[in-house]
Amino acid sequence: MKALAEAAVDAALGAGASYADARTVLLRRQFVITKNGQVDDLSDSESEGIGVRVLVNGAWGFAGEGRLDEAAAREAALRATTFARAAPGHHETSLAPVDAQSGEYRTPVERDPFAVPLSEKIDLCLRAEEGMRQPDVKVTLAMVRAQREHKVLISSEGTAVEQELVECGGGIDAYASAEGITQIRSYPSQHSGVSGQGGWEFVEGLSLDKEAPRVGEQAAALLRADECPSGRATIVLSPEQVVMQVHESVGHPTELDRIYGTEAAYAGTSFLSPDDLGSLRYGSDRMNVTSDATTPNGLGTFGFDDEGVPARREPIVEEGVLRGFLTSRETAARIGAGEGGSMRADGWSRMPLVRMTNLHLEPSEGSLEDLLAEVDDGLYLETNKSWSIDDKRLNFQFGTQIAWEIKKGKLGRMLRDATYTGKTPVFWGKLDAVAGPDAWQLFGLTNCGKGQPGQEAHVSHGAAPARFRDVEVGVSA
Amino acid sequence: MSRALDLAEEALRATEGDEAEAVVHAERSGVARFAGSVVHQPTLIDNAVVRLRVVRDGKLGWAATNKVEAGGLAELARRAAEAAESARPDPDFPGLAPRAEYPKVPGYDEETAALGAEDQARLAATAIEAVPDFELYGYFTSGVTEIALASTTGLRADQAVTDAVCICLAAVEGASGWAEQTSWEAAGVDTAAAAREAAEVAARTRGAGELEPGTYRAVLEPCAVAELLRWFSYDSLGAHGFLEDRSYFCGRIGERAFDPKVSIADDALDGDNLPKAFDFEGTPKQRVDLVEEGVIRGVVWDRLTAARAGDGQVSTGHAPPDAWRFQGPLPTALTLGPGEAGSTEELTALVGDGIHVTRLHYLSVVDPREGVLTGMTRDGTFRIRDGELAEPLVNLRFTVSLADVLREIPGLGRELKLVNLNDLYDERFPYAALVPALATARFHITGTGSGPGL
Repeated sequence: MKALAEAAVDAALGAGASYADARTVLLRRQFVITKNGQVDDLSDSESEGIGVRVLVNGAWGFAGEGRLDEAAAREAALRATTFARAAPGHHETSLAPVDAQSGEYRTPVERDPFAVPLSEKIDLCLRAEEGMRQPDVKVTLAMVRAQREHKVLISSEGTAVEQELVECGGGIDAYASAEGITQIRSYPSQHSGVSGQGGWEFVEGLSLDKEAPRVGEQAAALLRADECPSGRATIVLSPEQVVMQVHESVGHPTELDRIYGTEAAYAGTSFLSPDDLGSLRYGSDRMNVTSDATTPNGLGTFGFDDEGVPARREPIVEEGVLRGFLTSRETAARIGAGEGGSMRADGWSRMPLVRMTNLHLEPSEGSLEDLLAEVDDGLYLETNKSWSIDDKRLNFQFGTQIAWEIKKGKLGRMLRDATYTGKTPVFWGKLDAVAGPDAWQLFGLTNCGKGQPGQEAHVSHGAAPARFRDVEVGVSA
Repeated sequence: MSRALDLAEEALRATEGDEAEAVVHAERSGVARFAGSVVHQPTLIDNAVVRLRVVRDGKLGWAATNKVEAGGLAELARRAAEAAESARPDPDFPGLAPRAEYPKVPGYDEETAALGAEDQARLAATAIEAVPDFELYGYFTSGVTEIALASTTGLRADQAVTDAVCICLAAVEGASGWAEQTSWEAAGVDTAAAAREAAEVAARTRGAGELEPGTYRAVLEPCAVAELLRWFSYDSLGAHGFLEDRSYFCGRIGERAFDPKVSIADDALDGDNLPKAFDFEGTPKQRVDLVEEGVIRGVVWDRLTAARAGDGQVSTGHAPPDAWRFQGPLPTALTLGPGEAGSTEELTALVGDGIHVTRLHYLSVVDPREGVLTGMTRDGTFRIRDGELAEPLVNLRFTVSLADVLREIPGLGRELKLVNLNDLYDERFPYAALVPALATARFHITGTGSGPGL
């Protein structure tokens, strides 16, 4: 693999590139999905190829090639340089200087998820499904997955790194329906469950089968729950919902390529500007957000990003003030600070983009019960169901699968179809409590979309329950 | 015989006696993505993926690879067989699709297939140079997609399609406008015209004002209509949602739920869309009427969901590409029938007092059973007063039941526009919706967001 990548870089330089890097990627993915007691999907896919990125006269070129031989690698390099040379516009790309890196990184794995028999995975899914069955539960679904990505990065600046990232995960869903109402409950998350880097021990730690009865019972109970009322309320969010809030309203807006407009036509830009760094009040002084590509079990954990920049931990928001952006070498050079470290590509056929790695809301103190105790009348919202945010990441609306009234510091009746809405810095300004480290949980999501052609990044977020005052709730059609 | 079909047959031979189906999904494409009038994320892809489905004693296993040499295909067959061996028998599995005759459809253009990296860069440049007063964001892409199937039932299917898409966001601080063009012939995509149209919209968006939340009459441009239908389709127009009680159509077949002017179909045979001859199980494509003159008729099916439904239901030819298999069969050639309005201005006059929406952003399903969606408007939102387009508005949050939006339709445009719906994730599978602009009596605005522009 290393020799192929070196050949591609040599070919690109020979064709006039001032900079080139090449990534060879071998990717294997396995899914086991059961639904209503049947095996719904049992698939095992692999993909290999090389992605060659070049700079010619300041313009980027990129070509991906699925054949892994030297001729194909060189051909991809030439196609990338041809494209860069033909690229319209005035180009002034420069890259923040980074020391050439060499080394290896491998995810610590106790039990190789690909060595676990498929029959064991199926049994786990069917057991979890069985646990969710209730009279009104019409659909039960269980899923486990595993992924291994081996990649080598070679650059014309002397970087040569090799990494093997292993991840796995799982989740369960119960759909209940009766009399024209359909409700869903999921665990640990609606978004294809939760994944983390590590071996099969990560999936075992999710205890899907043990949580299943609660999930099924709550799905059925939601059919008879009252609708969430409309108005303004103090809300307490579960950690899984907090991470969605962090992802959409902190992660994406702090991607510096978006701030410079490169996603404007698709995912949008950001309400932030480069000048806001160090001065913009993002939220209350309880808000501390950190980007950390070293988090154990994080899906955004690596030794080096896809530009060869070593993993790092950096503050994004400190006591409510914007302190950092997620950057590439190009955007770091443009803003004149940092050296990148957040460049990630979806496989070999996509160009690296600025992506979240692991982005956390730092814990404070106390427990969920402590947060609830200081609410006289409010709502506790759990497990994301719907999510939408505007193109500058200001106006958002989220729905959750389940909610409960909070009355005099205690959880009361169950509510369905809960939604809340707000504008990002105003909402974060209403954060008045975050629970402590014991309540902090890590969630890995595999469906973060960005770029054209589209790329899905796997990212993790950690959060503890958090409380926000005076929030608009109960938005309806 | 095409190289893709050759490859499918080669994969089939590697299965050594199992009942099996091989699907080849090959792509040769280029995307010239631009931002700030500069190409910044160019991507050229050349790849072929083989997916093998093996059936053993009623048990199914899938495996996929892009390692298409002999050794790779043998390993593929081994992994698919291992998966099948480990599975449980599925009593609903109807067997692999039989041989079939396929309709002759257009959809492949030699000139489009021949476009290379320099051509794609040149066509992007043509768009950029057409609007010197705005920065341009978007992309031009063209590509060839080949789908081939071979199975032990004797089925052989093979189709190459081309597509070309130009999307343009013309923007500066405080102003932005949107336009796009899609066709299976690159000659049908005028990148400069798309850029100029986006700039014309953008020029009208400066000084955008706020709007009080409430229910408004509205003109929805084709891009907005297509996006609403796409998100509605995920739960409501496919067999999974219907069988699992998530679809708005559950319990409403035969009911007049929408305005009689509303007829929705999925028609991959239509040469004005991006035509396909068969689905990913090799079932021939057909037109499927989903809503006729406001009356709900049905959803789309593949072979397994049809077998599960019973009652004589058969596949409508909507087995999805591998990447969407989890979602089940979905429409990929939606069309909303035209109306009588000869122009958007006529629809604006029908609305009288309301809003005009060019494009939507970041939709999400709030309540699938009731067809409730939320999202934002962007890049061309205006007030309509006295039957004419009036002042620009900031981006608006909407939370609507699509049924409510389609229940009273003052008018639809006579002209249909092909709107690209492929976000270019996974293997390239071009698909689009063919829809008119429409006027609705009810579009529920629940908040306001950022202004137009960068």
